[in-house]
Amino acid sequence: MVIDNLCGEAVRKDIAVVGLYCDFLAKQAQSTANILGLMLKQLASKEEVSKHIQEAFKKAKKDFCGRALQPPDVVDILKATITSLPRLFICIDALDECTPKIRQELIESLREIVRVLPGARIFVTGRPHINHEVVTCFSEALCIPLSPAHGDITSYLEMRLDSDTDPKAMDVELRADIMRIIPEKVSEM
Amino acid sequence: MPSWHQQLAGGTNSFNLTSTANSISEGDEEGSQILRWLSPLDPQQRHQDVRSDRLNSVGNWVLETSEFRKWCDAEDGCVEPVLFCYGNPGVGKTYVR
Repeated sequence: MVIDNLCGEAVRKDIAVVGLYCDFLAKQAQSTANILGLMLKQLASKEEVSKHIQEAFKKAKKDFCGRALQPPDVVDILKATITSLPRLFICIDALDECTPKIRQELIESLREIVRVLPGARIFVTGRPHINHEVVTCFSEALCIPLSPAHGDITSYLEMRLDSDTDPKAMDVELRADIMRIIPEKVSEM
Repeated sequence: MPSWHQQLAGGTNSFNLTSTANSISEGDEEGSQILRWLSPLDPQQRHQDVRSDRLNSVGNWVLETSEFRKWCDAEDGCVEPVLFCYGNPGVGKTYVR
């Protein structure tokens, strides 16, 4: 939603949006370099960035027989393109799902990126237990606690009930119970 | 239609609309080699799935919080760059992102 909202604004304003994610289930493919590499992958259509990526790729191929991209490379390329980059929005989903080591490296790289690009905006989601790690690095991070809004639950339930493929199984009383009990239970979460 | 959606239809990997003649694209062999070198991960499909699953307007309250507005509108470095949305499993973090 935030990504789509920002992308909507990107049409009007000169901003770039990148979306990264961490995933418990994809441990093997998840390395700090791969996650940060996504940022460049999504910016690769920007001419100035693509020039630097192509150079870095050629160099990696020549010098190290196809050396893999390293986290500092990503930061270097972003640094090199700083003047041509529009405002950069980086959205990271589920920062808690990567290993603590990767998380630390990601946070450090983000800090470096922000040092070079002070206007960069970073949006992070995660479980509450990583709160202190985020705040340790970004002491004034803005925090929003997420909990299901009552209105969101009821509109979702209504949508599900209305699209029920077997409406005969429903009666007024059951519907009323569902609409009362589920939001109650959810708000206890 | 959001910009990244058009890009998706075009088969590229970017969330952003701007594309130029010299840009790296999946269309040519070197381009796709470079994109793989940058990262084997592909968030596009995942984003698409989450997006089509989300009920319109659910979670919109986050966009209206003063924290979000402050974070989003700050043009210079004086506002903290990080906005952290946290919550327990199942509250909908992924749908908000």
